[in-house]
Amino acid sequence: MISNPLARSALLMLTIVVITIACWEIHLRSIGVSAASYDDGGPLWADKRAMVYEPSDKATVFIGSSRIKYDLDIPTWENITGDHAIQLACVGSNPIPVLLNLADDADFKGKLVIDVTEFLFFSPLDGGSAPDRYIDYYKKRTPSQRASFQINHLFESQLAFLDKDNFSLNAYLDKLPLKNREGVHGGPDFPWQFETVSFDRQSAMNPEFVADTNLQNKVKGIWRFFRSMDKEPPVSGAKLDSIFIMVKTAVNKIKARGGQVIFSRTPSSGEFWQIEQMGFPREKYWDRLLKETACNGIFFADYPAINHFICPETSHLKPQDAIAFTKEFIRILEEEKGWKFQKTLMAAN
Amino acid sequence: MLFNSYTFIVFFIAILILHNLPFPWKVKKINLLIASYIFYAAWNPPFILLLWLSTVVDFFVGRALYTQNNVAKKRLLLVVSLIGNLGMLCFFKYGGFLLENFVTLANAVGLNFHPAKPNIILPAGISFYTFTTLCYTIDMYKKKSEPVRSMLDFSLFVTFFPHLVAGPIVRPPQLVPQFETPRTANRQQLMQGLFLLSLGLFMKVVLADSMLSSTANDVFNASDKLPALDAWMGVLAFSGQIFFDFAGYSTCAIGAALCLGFVLPQNFQYPYAAIGFSDFWRRWHITLSSWLRDYLYIPLGGNRKGKLRTYFNLMLTMLLGGLWHGANWTFVVWGGLHGFYLWAEKIFKDRAESKSSLIAEPAVMQASMIPTISLSKKWNGFLYALLTFFLVNVTWVFFRASTFTKAWAVLKSMFGFVPKADPLLTTLAIIKVSVIVSVMVIVHWLMRNSKVLEVIPKLPWWVLGIFWAMLILILIWSQESSSSFIYFQF
Repeated sequence: MISNPLARSALLMLTIVVITIACWEIHLRSIGVSAASYDDGGPLWADKRAMVYEPSDKATVFIGSSRIKYDLDIPTWENITGDHAIQLACVGSNPIPVLLNLADDADFKGKLVIDVTEFLFFSPLDGGSAPDRYIDYYKKRTPSQRASFQINHLFESQLAFLDKDNFSLNAYLDKLPLKNREGVHGGPDFPWQFETVSFDRQSAMNPEFVADTNLQNKVKGIWRFFRSMDKEPPVSGAKLDSIFIMVKTAVNKIKARGGQVIFSRTPSSGEFWQIEQMGFPREKYWDRLLKETACNGIFFADYPAINHFICPETSHLKPQDAIAFTKEFIRILEEEKGWKFQKTLMAAN
Repeated sequence: MLFNSYTFIVFFIAILILHNLPFPWKVKKINLLIASYIFYAAWNPPFILLLWLSTVVDFFVGRALYTQNNVAKKRLLLVVSLIGNLGMLCFFKYGGFLLENFVTLANAVGLNFHPAKPNIILPAGISFYTFTTLCYTIDMYKKKSEPVRSMLDFSLFVTFFPHLVAGPIVRPPQLVPQFETPRTANRQQLMQGLFLLSLGLFMKVVLADSMLSSTANDVFNASDKLPALDAWMGVLAFSGQIFFDFAGYSTCAIGAALCLGFVLPQNFQYPYAAIGFSDFWRRWHITLSSWLRDYLYIPLGGNRKGKLRTYFNLMLTMLLGGLWHGANWTFVVWGGLHGFYLWAEKIFKDRAESKSSLIAEPAVMQASMIPTISLSKKWNGFLYALLTFFLVNVTWVFFRASTFTKAWAVLKSMFGFVPKADPLLTTLAIIKVSVIVSVMVIVHWLMRNSKVLEVIPKLPWWVLGIFWAMLILILIWSQESSSSFIYFQF
């Protein structure tokens, strides 16, 4: 019998905490939440950023926005090529800060795939985006933060409730149906089924999302909302020129060190694709990008094997299509763009 | 290393186990010292050299100051210590600021001077451990206490991990005697310590980071003009954030030390229940305000050299206290505003005293620089506390804003000088701030004369158990990543 009242309180506290967490975890798993989804924030990004120094014949770095995170199936890529896929793309963000960071890093001499989502890529840099914050975190990462990341990995890989974006206190509070004042908007409320993030930072839709058109329509509504918020016309003139100059300079720095750079344009479909075509005519943006940087590019619409995908919410591939896309993407890289990979080289020898 | 990190949990469990193993006391102290260096090095290993330098220099200079009878040599030693300690602080914390101001001045008088901007990293906690070591050497100079005999005890006094990075600022007589005799926490102390750690983490992670920080950031980073409601919510959010962040850190520090059997001084006593500004400074960052009183205000003459000099000393102390918080003129203005409030309060009190002898002479409490205002009626007291809270919030604008332009913009919005502005904050953000800040002020008022560790034994054990479980569950549920404490930058 515990005589100390504080010790009794502590024991009761421990009992309540363990039982509540166990119930919560069991509930989430019963509705299909995966335990293997990770917080896609600065610590995970920084962990991958530190890997870019792997030899160029053993790794490929991917930067971009959310599309390449969904569309590149990393297990398929690594299985076919034998290359380590280092995913540095950040959702909803312009990848140029990451490109500049890699270009300024004299030790980065590897293969780089830059995925272009036009309305993000050709947008002004504000200095406070997720990639900027992640780069800053990477540069200032302390030994303690590295250790915490490793410990956190152990927990996150086992517990479904550790998902800040979907199941934290603020995530639930954000779902409260409170009316805002005119002109004020809360953050988007993505269904949790829309994104599971693996430890190598691949995003994937949950099977329920792929099957449920209501969930898909909800995300389509979020894309429409974002578009309605963007009142500015697509960037052009001197601002566009300065983006090309910035990208060209960065790409040239990487190439000068022996690095390889290629641009990709991953699929979108339906109204999203139509609006992108109208807002960002290919000849004015994509074609000029390749010309200015003297780089190769893979535009999904040019390849019958990858131009037919229907994105469930018009902007990202479902997991099955991501596998097919990745296989074809590798084939194009090897056969048409001259990229060499470990496994295929070994097979050839 | 942050208290709100997984690394600290693992580190602390290891330390607790080591500290409770049957090792000789000296071995346990060495363990604690090594642990404290690891705690500090986990942030930025090279800066541990500064800590060593400060420790070694002050240990020997302190002893020499105490034994030296030649006044000139004694003064020289004190100057060496002051230059060593304050020199490091000035270089790392104020180097860029001093250069920037010098350049502005030089350009103003027509000199074309444009040096490269220095890239100086501020070592964590330098302001805190500098004050800790400074008070030792000054005490030795004045022979206020005995020099610490053992280098091990002195090193542990300076680096003891719970207080190292952000206080409480300890004095040698408060901590060194605790190292002289073997001690481990009994079960009661261990449980109290764990409860304080839980409470401190809840304040920091849930209330400061998860609930309030984003609203404060949104308002103070806004580029557009703000309506009064949004500006006030941003300032109130910061008011709550800074309290929960720093008091949360102090509570964790006191709790962690208590788990090991050591007692650290209290650093906060429900400051938003303060009636007046002298009362506020007896309740907010108590160890700093008492340090400034004992090592700055009183040596300047305190209130012993006439009224005018008292006012001057008060203002100078508050201005330097403001500058201690950060290398920016906005912090100086923050300190100046508090100095101005203290002036006003003193004038009011002096007049009231001269008019009526019926008002009882208030007692001068420990950390007070001027005597308190005595109020008999509780409701009057609460209204005065609200007025104090209101005025404190005005000062937080200068503390939080990075520039005067931003501070003025927020102040103009708060007081309705912006006729038309688009709203910024969501209804949820407004509700969060309103609820948390209201509850905070009420709890401060209800608890203003008590302490957590005095209240919890009065609760039924099961009520405390459920309350404790709520704290931990919400802490886990918030899933806030380990963000740094605001006071680490000071």
